[in-house]
Amino acid sequence: MLRATLRSFLAHRGRLLLSALAVVLSVAFVAGSLIFSDTVDRTFDRLFASRSADVTVEPRGDLESSVPSGAVQTLPASLARELARVDGVAAAHADVEVGDITVVDSGNESVGPTTGAPTLARDWHAGERSVVELASGRAPRGDGEAVLDADTADAKGVGIGDTLSVQAQPGSFRVEVVGIAAFTTTNPGAARIFLDPAVAAGRLLGSPDRATSVSLDAAPGVTDAELKRRVTAGLGGGAYEIRTAGEQAETAADELGAFLDVIKYVMLGFAGIAVLVGVFLIVNTFSMLIAQRTRELGLLRALGANRRQVRRSVLTEALLLGLAGSTLGLVAGIGLAVGLIRLMSAFGMRLETAEMVIRWATPVTAYAVGTGVTFVAAFLPARRAAAVSPMAALADAEIAGAGRPLRVRAAAGSVVGALGAAALAGCAAADETSSAASLLGLGVVLTLVATVVAGPLLVRPVIRVLGAGFPALFGAVGLMSRRNALRNPRRTGATAAALMVGLALVTGMSVAGASMSRSFDEQIDRTLGADFVIQNANFKPFPQEVTDRVRDTEGTGLVVRQRFAPVAVRLPDGQRVETTAAGYDDRVDDVARVTYARGGTAAALADGGMAMDAGFAAEHGVRTGSTLPVEFPGGRRTELTVAALTDMAGGDGFGMRGGLFFGIATVEAYVPGGQDSALYVNAAAGTSTAELRDRLESALDAYPQVQVRDQADYKDLVHDQIAVLLYLVYALLGLAIVIAVLGVVNTLALSVVERTREIGLLRAIGLARRQLRRMIRLESVVIAVFGAMLGLGLGLVWGLCTQQVLALEGMTALAVPWSTVAAVVVGSVVVGIVAALLPALRASRMNVLEAIAYE
Amino acid sequence: MPTPAAEHAPGLAPADGIAARARGLTKAYGSGETTVLALDRVDVDIVRGRFTAVMGPSGSGKSTLMHCLAGLDTVSAGQVWLGDTEITGLKDGELTRLRRDRIGFMFQSFNLVPTLNARENITLPLDIAGRRPDEQWLDQVIDTLGLRDRLRHRPAQLSGGQQQRVACARALASRPELIFADEPTGNLDSRSGLEVLGFLREAVDRLDQTVVMVTHDPGAAAHSDLVLFLADGRIVDEMRQPTAESVLERMKRFDVIRAPVDDADRSGRK
Repeated sequence: MLRATLRSFLAHRGRLLLSALAVVLSVAFVAGSLIFSDTVDRTFDRLFASRSADVTVEPRGDLESSVPSGAVQTLPASLARELARVDGVAAAHADVEVGDITVVDSGNESVGPTTGAPTLARDWHAGERSVVELASGRAPRGDGEAVLDADTADAKGVGIGDTLSVQAQPGSFRVEVVGIAAFTTTNPGAARIFLDPAVAAGRLLGSPDRATSVSLDAAPGVTDAELKRRVTAGLGGGAYEIRTAGEQAETAADELGAFLDVIKYVMLGFAGIAVLVGVFLIVNTFSMLIAQRTRELGLLRALGANRRQVRRSVLTEALLLGLAGSTLGLVAGIGLAVGLIRLMSAFGMRLETAEMVIRWATPVTAYAVGTGVTFVAAFLPARRAAAVSPMAALADAEIAGAGRPLRVRAAAGSVVGALGAAALAGCAAADETSSAASLLGLGVVLTLVATVVAGPLLVRPVIRVLGAGFPALFGAVGLMSRRNALRNPRRTGATAAALMVGLALVTGMSVAGASMSRSFDEQIDRTLGADFVIQNANFKPFPQEVTDRVRDTEGTGLVVRQRFAPVAVRLPDGQRVETTAAGYDDRVDDVARVTYARGGTAAALADGGMAMDAGFAAEHGVRTGSTLPVEFPGGRRTELTVAALTDMAGGDGFGMRGGLFFGIATVEAYVPGGQDSALYVNAAAGTSTAELRDRLESALDAYPQVQVRDQADYKDLVHDQIAVLLYLVYALLGLAIVIAVLGVVNTLALSVVERTREIGLLRAIGLARRQLRRMIRLESVVIAVFGAMLGLGLGLVWGLCTQQVLALEGMTALAVPWSTVAAVVVGSVVVGIVAALLPALRASRMNVLEAIAYE
Repeated sequence: MPTPAAEHAPGLAPADGIAARARGLTKAYGSGETTVLALDRVDVDIVRGRFTAVMGPSGSGKSTLMHCLAGLDTVSAGQVWLGDTEITGLKDGELTRLRRDRIGFMFQSFNLVPTLNARENITLPLDIAGRRPDEQWLDQVIDTLGLRDRLRHRPAQLSGGQQQRVACARALASRPELIFADEPTGNLDSRSGLEVLGFLREAVDRLDQTVVMVTHDPGAAAHSDLVLFLADGRIVDEMRQPTAESVLERMKRFDVIRAPVDDADRSGRK
């Protein structure tokens, strides 16, 4: 029996090719993402473990905020001298390191990474733990000198002797590059510039007596943990975060890990969708192979093979396919990991492919996924094979299973579909984001399952309509292709379902994306009254000089500054909410349209006053006149009185929970060293906006990180950001669609084999090759368009429901991107034509006589 | 050197009454030492308006002869004409058109496209060509074959005999110059077989068609006007006004003469 199975597997290997490809793709993505993340993990674990001081002391990061205020948390530099006296400390160093600065070259171009990774400036502290060593030139001495990292120098063409401008929080200063430092370890992608320790604190922190952390080396015989205990005892703990080298490495790895996790999850998302769509392909392949081998299986049964043997034979074939696919997939996965590592290097993160990590879990997972998926997918077809009666050997049954009723599917499909529809209806009706989002997720999964299950039932009605014009347009060829698509609804359904999954997600995402874009547009129209907004591209704060230059520009009328402050508010209902508050200059009404439920701008921005979102206030028992304790970073506290309640859609969102804002003086008082995050600028009377724009742009020439934007630019910026997100999703789904196309090719190719005699007959009675190709192409197109229709229908419903969830977050506008819908339909026609190329060619090349005689 | 079969020129007739003609028709499979001659310099004329049967033992080349005459297979040497058109040397596209417009086919089994109903199957060659059927003729064919109440049925809903009748109707629908029937009764019970043969007979007598039928059943051959006997790739005999008994008698003799002829021929060629 095993020999018969092996023979059969080898005989059908051509027909299993595309299924194997689906397995290979799925496994490759699983293995590739595992190898990549393991490699990255190990690289950075090593990096941080070897580069962290035995014990590090930092100011306690009490209020973390997703919106940066621009202020740098510092500690007194004298702490290093103090700690040096602690028993067990061999050496103490006051570190000065700031991120998020901008360094520009003489041509006013930023030398920072273009990937969004930060530019870091710190004191030059050569030692065995330094991540860099001097490659050429010398260490910086005194004011006006700096060392730049070699990767940045290479990328931006900076050499020794060049002058750079460093824009730090206290102010910009010029430095001459006197040395180039090479990384001794993996470069995680940031740009680095080093200053003389004697001037670093003054230049970067605004005071020579401050530092950002203290690094301690333990004396021989003192463990890191012991040293941490002693330092903690000496400092009293409260104001400082004290970490051993191990803890520090973990923290650093966690911070980087969040970014790397995104890559990992995107990759696993690819893998998941590849697996899901691959299952359809494999189920279809095995079903068709078994249908074609009905007589052979019947003969085996007639010769005495029992049901279990037949079933086992099919499952063994699946297992062989899974093993072969997994092996190739594992190899492809290694290739994929190498590619990703190279890609990261291109973005400035230097990983070594030679240090690639393949843990034992990777091949185990690869084989588990590959064989598991194939096995599960082949299970139902195998049961069907076992059910073949010995009589089938004699009968001339055309296709087993084609005529079986779809009652079970109808019942299951309608039950699951009803549940899914109920979940989606519940999601649309829900008034809380979290419950709406989980209902949405549930509804999406259930309706997807229902459509897959009931897909075959929709084949007849939908394809009758889609192909209605075929006989009139294409004559007998059109008639036959439509009938062929209707011939086996299960097969057509499963083939189309694979395509549907990807397209439904694309459609749903694009409806959500378009609705978000339109909502932001409306919000910008509604709220933004300024002629220009001056902002950093990634919304990070910018130096004071930018504000000064804008104010000094001729023709500038009103300038309203915006600053952010991380805050924690203790609310009357006992909750402590950490959020970010905004501070504004007085005349905010002239640059923005804020609507209030109670109170007004003047009261909100007055000293000791505060504004809050009305909905948030009601939820937490806050009224106008409530006085609330507010905490700021560094342990600064005050009490502010809620003087106004705002009533704006979307006021309560985007990391700005509660919609808190107050006068900018409050931010300046409690967040010293903060920087402006945005400037709202109106032209002075008599100056045109076009003139002002030109002047502002030339005034800000030396600050490439900030842009001058009017309403239209601002909308474009938001659109671009949403588009980037969508493109990522589209790329992910592109893979699903590629596999689905393979599925269509597979189904057609196997159908062509199955219909060999019919094709022979058609050719004999005069069907031209061209007509035969057209017949197969039309069938392919109708299947693909059917899949697209299901996907569009499902995707539009999902999109509408997603928009309902977004509406709870203030994004109330609904937009259906009809151009995307049209592109999906046109695209599916193209998919159909492309998928039919090979099967049609194969069919048209068949020898007529051999085809007629085919068994 | 003409073969003995060609010398006594089976079925040779005046050119104007010829539906199909072959001269020196040779079909070889393989090459070199392993060459097998399926047809060995066959000369044959198929007379218009006649029901010709081609008989012979298995491997005699009777199906190959039909395939070559019908433009389904290429020839190794010799010439084939359909009416005045030489079909040897035609390209695939031209052959396809020729089969579509000028020839009707009936095969032993799997004659019909399963997705099309009886009427759609009957008009399929015309539909492929984009031609309108001659309704009057079609009605006549359908009524002659008794298919009037079966036109909406799919092949799966028809009996084997009915399916062959539909195939017969399809072969007649475009009023071809020549109908080739390859073992049309091979898969049928004797009653249905007789029915189909009766229809082919009627097609010749009443509808003035020309039919070439390949068969190994003497009873089927008895319905024809002329039987051509093939052995080892050559036409070895012919019989006019055959009866089942006379054909059977003639067939029996093949088993006797076959081996010697074969040997003589092989040594002669060497």
